[in-house]
Amino acid sequence: MSPRWRDEVAIYLAPRKLALVRRARGLRPRVVAETELTVLAGNAGGIGPVLSTLADVLTDPTWQGAAARAVVTDHPWARYGVVPPPPARLDAPARLAHARYVLGDAHGDAVADWAVTLADTPPGRPCVACATPATLRTALEDTLAPARLTLVSLQPQLVVAFNAWRRRLPADDAWFVRVDDGALSAVHLSHGAWDRVHLARLSADWSVELERLEALGRLTRPAGAEGRMLVDAPAWMRRGAAARTGIEWLDEGDGEASHVCALLRRMAA
Amino acid sequence: MRTSPRSVRLDFAAPVHPPRLAGATLCAAGLAAALAVGVAFDRKLAERSQLDAELAATAPPRRAAPDPSAARNAADAAAIERELGIPWIRLLAELEAASQDSASTVSLLAVAPDPGKHLVRITAEVRALNDAIAYLKRLQRSAVLRHPMLESHERRKDDPEHPLRVTLSAEWRT
Repeated sequence: MSPRWRDEVAIYLAPRKLALVRRARGLRPRVVAETELTVLAGNAGGIGPVLSTLADVLTDPTWQGAAARAVVTDHPWARYGVVPPPPARLDAPARLAHARYVLGDAHGDAVADWAVTLADTPPGRPCVACATPATLRTALEDTLAPARLTLVSLQPQLVVAFNAWRRRLPADDAWFVRVDDGALSAVHLSHGAWDRVHLARLSADWSVELERLEALGRLTRPAGAEGRMLVDAPAWMRRGAAARTGIEWLDEGDGEASHVCALLRRMAA
Repeated sequence: MRTSPRSVRLDFAAPVHPPRLAGATLCAAGLAAALAVGVAFDRKLAERSQLDAELAATAPPRRAAPDPSAARNAADAAAIERELGIPWIRLLAELEAASQDSASTVSLLAVAPDPGKHLVRITAEVRALNDAIAYLKRLQRSAVLRHPMLESHERRKDDPEHPLRVTLSAEWRT
């Protein structure tokens, strides 16, 4: 939690993409700077190249001395699981161990040593758990420190996008899909909460992925049900697929802002 | 009926239980109240300092130096007051009644009051110690005296009848 009057820098981190938006706060918060860069040396798994690029960008005083809210791409740095409510009341360490077990069951040993956190959920309801690489937070904090940026939030992209769009989403039997940076993240809603999460990489031919999206909607929908699929995708993808049926595009009219920068702008303060 | 799904509060850096607005408001109100009390206290302190300064600036009334003769007169007056305070009439009447009750076995020789201590010292002669003790018990029943006690007794060998000289003391009631 940062003071209401302190400037914030929202940072998006993906293997091949880095975006920053600085927002001056106070009575009338406003965006004062934004940038988006391609990380040329980026690879599929390592956090090093994008953090190196971030360190270079942060030498510019424009981005220094603020609270930092970081968003990491879902693929490959976030894994989700929906943890069913335990039959008995558990304390925090036991809930975390339960979540770690569910994530390990869904994603294998790859997430065994990852950092895990749980969403704040009322007792007796399924809980969203998320895992990120264990060194991600400390490496990010080490990169931010020289620029006098304090990390006040570190969230995965799907959570940020969902919270930004949730007032436009139906509460029941619907897919919310976020497409960006060569990956797709989808969450199914039931009774106002997440009940399934699906992550996938996208190929170069985005039209194939749209067909896959539609197929995903049909396959996951009970026979005869009128399920909906709401997709948060870059503008170029929305324009190319305007005629397609079965998909509702989420468009906030962000103008010339890139898809990622639009997300950073919409992040809740 | 819920129209939109619940938000997902999940964060690796920030606590998922952000401080509520009510808590922040209460905290601010508490701080404001503490500040107001502090300011009021500071004003009162300044006001008191100013009053102290004004009081110090005012010349205090000079007290006259004590007069030695006046002090002596006061002491004499106090002594006279104490002397006058001795209930002689009641005291002598009680001692006379006690002597009569003792069937004239007690001969009073002296009665010496000590006004400062409210104490009367009685010197008397008796034939035997039992007479002195009986006299003492009679004085102990007196409404005028309290705590009568035998201070000393001495057999007078220079007297042919060898009387017993006793000294008793008692406080008188005012």
